[in-house]
Amino acid sequence: MKLHDVDVAVIGAGPAGMAAAIRAREAGAEKVVLMERAEELGGLLHQCVHNGFGLLYFNEDLTGPEYGHRFIEKALDTGVTPLLETMVVRLGEDRQIGAVNTKEGFITFRPKSIVLAMGCRERSRGALNIPGTRPAGVLTAGTAQRYVNVEGFVPGKKVVILGSGDIGMIMARRLTLEGARVEAVVEILPYIGGLIRNEVQCLHDFDIPLFLNHTVTQIHGEERVEAVTVAQVNGNRQPVAGTQRTIACDTLLLSVGLIPENELSIMAGVRLDPVTGGARVDETRQTNIPGVFAGGNVLHVHDLVDNVSWESEMAGESAARFALEGKQKESGKIVVRAGRNIRYVVPQTISGRRDTTLYMRVNEPEETVRIKVGDIMTKGVRAVKPSEMLKIELSAEKLGKLREGTKEITVDCEKRGGK
Amino acid sequence: MSRVETEVLIIGGGIGGAAIARELSRYTADATLVEKGADVGQGITKYSSTIMCQGANVLEFRSEYHNSRLVWAGMPLMEPLCRELDVPFKRIGSLELVENQAGMRHPEKMMRRFKDWHGKYLPSDIEPLQFIDRDTLRAWEPNVDKKYIGAVYDPNIAVNDPVRLTIALVDNAKKNGINVLLETEVLDIKAGTDGFEVWTNNGSIACRYIINAAGEYVGKIAQMVDADDFAMYPVKSYQAVLDKKVGGLINRMVLATGSGMVSPTIHGNLFFGISPGSQRLGKAHDHSTDKKLADTALRHAQELVPAVSAADIINSFVGFIVFRNFEIGWHECTVGVSRWVPRFINASIGFPGICAAPGVAKEMIDILTRQGLRLAENPRFDPYEKAMPDFSDLSDEEKKELIARDPRYGHVVCRCETVTEGEIVEAIRRGARTLDGVKFRCRPGMGRCQGGFCGPRVTRILARELGISEEEVTKKGGESRNLLYKGKELLEAHQ
Amino acid sequence: MAQKKTFICIGCPLGCRVTLTIDGKGAVAGFAGNKCKEGEKYVLEEYTNPVRTLTATVLTEGSSQPLLAVRTSRPIVKTKLAEGMAVLAKVRARPPLKIGDVVVPNLLDTGADIVASGNLSS
Repeated sequence: MKLHDVDVAVIGAGPAGMAAAIRAREAGAEKVVLMERAEELGGLLHQCVHNGFGLLYFNEDLTGPEYGHRFIEKALDTGVTPLLETMVVRLGEDRQIGAVNTKEGFITFRPKSIVLAMGCRERSRGALNIPGTRPAGVLTAGTAQRYVNVEGFVPGKKVVILGSGDIGMIMARRLTLEGARVEAVVEILPYIGGLIRNEVQCLHDFDIPLFLNHTVTQIHGEERVEAVTVAQVNGNRQPVAGTQRTIACDTLLLSVGLIPENELSIMAGVRLDPVTGGARVDETRQTNIPGVFAGGNVLHVHDLVDNVSWESEMAGESAARFALEGKQKESGKIVVRAGRNIRYVVPQTISGRRDTTLYMRVNEPEETVRIKVGDIMTKGVRAVKPSEMLKIELSAEKLGKLREGTKEITVDCEKRGGK
Repeated sequence: MSRVETEVLIIGGGIGGAAIARELSRYTADATLVEKGADVGQGITKYSSTIMCQGANVLEFRSEYHNSRLVWAGMPLMEPLCRELDVPFKRIGSLELVENQAGMRHPEKMMRRFKDWHGKYLPSDIEPLQFIDRDTLRAWEPNVDKKYIGAVYDPNIAVNDPVRLTIALVDNAKKNGINVLLETEVLDIKAGTDGFEVWTNNGSIACRYIINAAGEYVGKIAQMVDADDFAMYPVKSYQAVLDKKVGGLINRMVLATGSGMVSPTIHGNLFFGISPGSQRLGKAHDHSTDKKLADTALRHAQELVPAVSAADIINSFVGFIVFRNFEIGWHECTVGVSRWVPRFINASIGFPGICAAPGVAKEMIDILTRQGLRLAENPRFDPYEKAMPDFSDLSDEEKKELIARDPRYGHVVCRCETVTEGEIVEAIRRGARTLDGVKFRCRPGMGRCQGGFCGPRVTRILARELGISEEEVTKKGGESRNLLYKGKELLEAHQ
Repeated sequence: MAQKKTFICIGCPLGCRVTLTIDGKGAVAGFAGNKCKEGEKYVLEEYTNPVRTLTATVLTEGSSQPLLAVRTSRPIVKTKLAEGMAVLAKVRARPPLKIGDVVVPNLLDTGADIVASGNLSS
C-alpha cells in the first residue's frame, strides 16, 4: 500500500476511529487510512453483543455488532482505506508513524494529520494490588466478555465480580444466561459504577446480590481461584475489621475502571490530563502537537458509544481541515476549569469563537443541581452521577458574551433550590 | 509407570538446580533434573529480586558465613555466564543512601571493610566502592529524595532476569546431555546401602546421588530420608513492579538502611521491595500478598524516591527467603552433604540465591567428587545458548528482515510489551507449555494490562501449537486452567 | 389486602425507587417515590408486562468464527429469558448469515424471532 500521500491517518478502528475516519472523508480529506491491529474494523463492538447502543445516535436500540456494522459499511462507502492487522508501534513528534504487519513488514509514513483513537484498557489486578495468591481464574470483565462472546468459552461457573462498572454488570447477566452462577457483585463505593438500567436489567432481573461499600480483601487458591474474602469498607474505603466473609468461587472478574490507552500519545509528546488520563485538547480535539487529534475513550472514558461517535466526528473533521489547510490559525486560548463537584471537562481549552460541546463528569452523585459555565450559561439538571457523562452545548453566540481577554472559565455543579 | 536410572538426581528446577545441572553437563555425568512444576524457575526464583552481584555492599556479610563466601565467589562469574547463555545482564550500580552525619558511620565502615577485604575475601577483579557526595547524588539521581546527603556507590551491582537465566541454564544443560523431567514431583525417597529409590507421580527413579535443590520445599524433601539436619524459617518479602512509563525515574538501585529498595529492572520497569533482612517470618508456602506488607513497602520506597506511586504498580508478589539461623539476624545457607545420609546433598542457598547460584554450582562439583562421583570432562560441552529474538528490541531494518523471513513476526499479539506471534511460537518451540511459560520467555502479559488484551490470543496460539483445546491451556500447569467450560456447556448440563 | 412492590425507574440518572400499591382486586392503586410522571409509566409497564431484548450468542458450524451474536427481533417477556437460552444452546448457525437474518423463528411462541446481530461467513 502506498502511504506517502496520506492526508489523515486514524489509529484504531473501534467506534471512535471509524467515526473519525468517515467524517474526515466527508469533510474532504482525499486519502484517509484507518489503522487497526485486528483483522476487521469495529474494535470492541464485536464482543459487546448486548443491546443499548445507538439509542441517541440512531434513535434505535442496537447491539454492539449492529452498531459497528453501520459504521463499517459507511466507512467503506465513503472511501476510507482500512489498513488491517497493522499495529502502530511508534509515533514521533513529527507525526511519523511506525507500524508492523505481516504483509509489508515494518512500515513508516508521515500523514498530514493524525487522529488518535486507540480506546482504553481495563484496570488489572496488578493495578489494584488485591492481596492474596495468584491463581488462574482472575480476569478483567472485558477479557471474560471476549472469551464468552467471541471465543466461545465460559471461564467458570461460580463467579464473583469486583466493581459495578457497566461491563461488569453486563457480564453478570451474560454469565448467568450462559449457565454460570454469579455469587456477588462487590462495589467499594456507596453507589454503582455503571448505568442504572444495567443495575436493573443485569442484576435485579437475575437476583444477583450487589454489595455496596464492600471490597475483595483476599484471593484464595493456589492453582485456580477457590474463594475470595469480601469485607465492608469504611468512609476511607478501608476494610472494617470483623466484617470479612469468604465466598467460594472459581472465578473473580474485575470491572474496576478503564484507562485511556495513551502510550503512543506519550511517545509523540502529547500532553496528558492527569484526571482523564487522555490528551488535553481544544474544542477541535487537537492536542498540543499540531495535526494530532484525539477522540473517544483514548481522550476520556465515555459512558455511551453514541457520545464516542459524536466526539470522534469532531476530531475527524478537524483532522481533515488540518490536512487540507495546514496549521489552524486559531487555537484554544481559554482554559476550561473543573469547579465544584466537576471531576473534569473536555475540551480543556476553547477558542470561544465557535459552537462548542463540553463533556464532563461529576465527582459525587447529586440531585437538583445546575451546571454553570462561567457567567455565560446555566443549565438545570435533575440528577448527576459519576457514571453518566454530562454534555453542555455552548453556541458561538453564547461564547460571544465572554469578556475580551478572558483567560479561563470555570464549570461548576451547584445545588438548586437554596438547599 | 516408568522407571528411570540415573547416577545423580537433582530435585528442583529453580536457579540452584539449574546452575548445578548446567555445571554437571560440563562432565560426562549421568544426571537427571526433576521439577514438579510445568516449567523451570517458577518457585522462589520467579519471586527473586533481579539484583545481581551483591556482596561488596552488604555489611551483614561475614567471611565466616558459607553463604557470604558463595555470593562472593559468584560475583565475577555472573556476567560471563549471562554472556555465554545470551541472557540480558546490565550493570546499573547501587547507591546506599545516607541521611545525616550520624548515618555516616555505616558507609565509613563499609568502605573500610571493602579495603581490608578486597582481594582477600572479595574477588580482586571487582570494582571498588566509592562515596559520592550530595551534589553528585543529585546529578546522578535527581528523583531521589533531597534529604539524603550522600551515598555509597557500588558499581558492581547489576540486574538480569532470573527466570530467563534459569531457563537458559536448563536448556543448555539439556543440550549437553542432562535429562530433564518436568511435572515430576518427588513423593517419597528411600535410602538404600548404595543408592536411593525415589517415587514420583511419573514413576520411580533409582539414583546414587541426590541433590536437594527444592527451594522452599527443601525441608520437605530432606525429611523423606531424615536428612533435615537444619532448621528452616521461611521469610516473606514483597516486591512490586511499576509501569515502564516511570522506568526512568532512577538509573541505579537505591536503598537505605532499615528501609526498602527501588531499582530499575532489566526490562525497563522499576521495582521496589522490602529488603528481606527486616521482614517477619511467614507461614510456609503461603504465597499470598497482604496489605500491610504492601503498604510498608510502598511507604519505604516513597521515602527513597518520592515519585513512586501506587497508581503505577502493574504487578506485585511475595517472595520467600529460606533463612536458616533467623534468630541471629542473618541467615546461613545449607549447601553440603547431609550429616546423616551419605550422598544426599542439600542445596538450599537462601538469600541472595541468584547471586550465589554460580558459586554453589562450582562447589557442588567438589562435593560430589569428594562423595565418590567420578567425573570426566564432556568433550562435546557447548557452553553457548542463543536467545530467542526480542522483536521490540530490534532496529527497523532488523524488524523488516525478520518479518520477511517469518511473517508471524509482523503480527503483534501483546501491545504493552510489543510481543509478536513469531516470538510466542518460538517460545513454545523452546519448551513453553503454559501461559506463564510463554510470559516468562517473551513477556506477553508482563506489561501494564497484565494480559487483558493478549491473554485470549496467547491462549489460542498455545492451543494451536500444542495441539490441545483452549480449555486445556493452563496458567502454570496442574489445575490452573484459565477457561473451565466450552460455550453452552453449562446450559447443556442443566438439561 | 393491598400489596406493595418497589421498582427502580431507569428513565434518568435519578433512579427513583418507586413503590407501587396494588389493591385487593389486583388493580393499581397508587405510586409513591417517583419524582415525575415518566416514573409511573415505566413502573406500570414493568408491573404489567416487563419485557427485555434477549441478546446472546449461538454456536456455529462451518465457520472459522466459533460464535454468532444474536438477538430477539423485539423485546420478549422477561420470564422467558432463561427458557430462550436453553433453545439457543441447541442451535447451530451455518454461514452465510447477515445481520437481521432469522436464526430461530418465533422463539417460544413469543412472536419474536431470534435474528443474527452480526454477520457470519465461512
